[in-house]
Amino acid sequence: MKKVVDVSLPIGPVHPCFKEPARIKCETMGEKVLSAEVEMGYVKKGIEKIMVGRPWQEVMFLAERICGICSVIHNMVFIETVERISDIEVPIRAQYLRVIVNELDRMQSHLLANYSYCYTIEHETLAMYLINLRETVVDQLELITGARITCAYIIPGGVRFDLRDEDAETLKAALDKCEKDISRFVKIFEEGPLIALRSKDVGIITKEEIIASQAAGPTARASGVDFDHRLNHPTYQKLDFKPIVLNSCDNYARIMLRFKELFQSIELIRECLKRLEGLKGETIRGGGEVGEGEFTWTGEAPRGGLTYHVKTNRYGHVEEISVQTPSIMNMDACAHYMLKGADSAADITAVFISSDPCISCNER
Amino acid sequence: MSIIQSIKNKVRQRSIHVCYVNVGSCNGCDIEILACLAPRYDIEQYGIYVHNNPREADILLITGAFTEQWEDKLKHLWDLIPEPKAAITIGNCPVSGCAYNRRGARIDPPVSKHIPVAANIPGCPPRPTEIIGTILELAPVVFKDYEEKKAKEAAETERKTKGAKK
Repeated sequence: MKKVVDVSLPIGPVHPCFKEPARIKCETMGEKVLSAEVEMGYVKKGIEKIMVGRPWQEVMFLAERICGICSVIHNMVFIETVERISDIEVPIRAQYLRVIVNELDRMQSHLLANYSYCYTIEHETLAMYLINLRETVVDQLELITGARITCAYIIPGGVRFDLRDEDAETLKAALDKCEKDISRFVKIFEEGPLIALRSKDVGIITKEEIIASQAAGPTARASGVDFDHRLNHPTYQKLDFKPIVLNSCDNYARIMLRFKELFQSIELIRECLKRLEGLKGETIRGGGEVGEGEFTWTGEAPRGGLTYHVKTNRYGHVEEISVQTPSIMNMDACAHYMLKGADSAADITAVFISSDPCISCNER
Repeated sequence: MSIIQSIKNKVRQRSIHVCYVNVGSCNGCDIEILACLAPRYDIEQYGIYVHNNPREADILLITGAFTEQWEDKLKHLWDLIPEPKAAITIGNCPVSGCAYNRRGARIDPPVSKHIPVAANIPGCPPRPTEIIGTILELAPVVFKDYEEKKAKEAAETERKTKGAKK
């Protein structure tokens, strides 16, 4: 038989540009990638198994520790599922505070994703700018919730802390700084000839392939799929949320989409702050008791749809739980469609990072 | 102390290469290491370089609760790092398993069971300043007079083996 594959090129599990352990196995012909495969299982802890049989108070913290980058959305979706099981009403002020914290978390996650991409294509200046701006966003998160990463801010029937007036002022000033800085960085990104060479027409995935591979989140929206789970969320419906869609399907589109979503998040937070002005002094914790039932609920994580299926008994203990995270579909799409036909081995890591894989989310 | 040794001591305080490995954490600690790179904390002004390549590392940063898959791989990674070397664990997970340490979880903490650990930074997750502070405090202690200590140890073992022969 004629040999078609030159080299089988494994990348990982410990690699300079990966934040987490994963292995990409590529079959290459010269520099061209013929096929790729992602091998996982390095950080499987079995969180869903240890969640079963525990009261929701414990599961809440475990849910948050599924992923450190998008911890707020894990907390939020689990609590919203529990609220829908037991018909707990959320005060309107708490609903807007939840959106503020969730959007801040999305901002820091998108900044981190774009930092990783810029670092991978060796544009270190922009990468350092982005990670420094992320610190500003994380500071605001810390000011509101009391922690940088694992906040545990959202609880059934409300949120833990109220937003003080002086904190709202600091948040507004930080948002102005973010908007100014991000516009500058977007300009750098758009005009950089190096970035265009490394990103445009690299890692192409068409809309049909996105639908076939079920990819979600920014990866799907950069290829023209007009869908966002925030459209189904009652608070976002009040805020007239509209998803952003780009059609160029390549690495460049995915990064630009995240930049555009940053502006969108800033606008959402500003709108929430405006509405909170009129709700001063209202309650932020309604209270309620977690009861028996079963429900499935989906929220929009920074990487796509995040689904929780929870079944509780009448004491508020979790009897069954299953979590579906978006990264597994995105990584599948990346391995089977984006990497196939990549012109150079240097593009492998760039393409993989552009889909923003979160391995801890995947394996749990 | 010889002159060469004192120069080496001086240099090693300000040139520390770091490799980090995630053995089953939630990413929280990993992104706090990444945050150290930010110009606000600026880890490189202290001469600490995050390379993530074990073959040129001096210090191995470990995050996570040690999952089963890393059983032999972490030992292999540790053997790749040239002497003198030290391991620092970050977060509660490598110390106790933190929230994951329940019956049925596929983890095996503490990490110090598997490789020698020089320091632990508890916290869920610890702040970037704590990570930088620990590296800066630990590195000079571990790397001080490394060659002289090694020569002394070699002489000691030689004396013992000779004594045994006689």
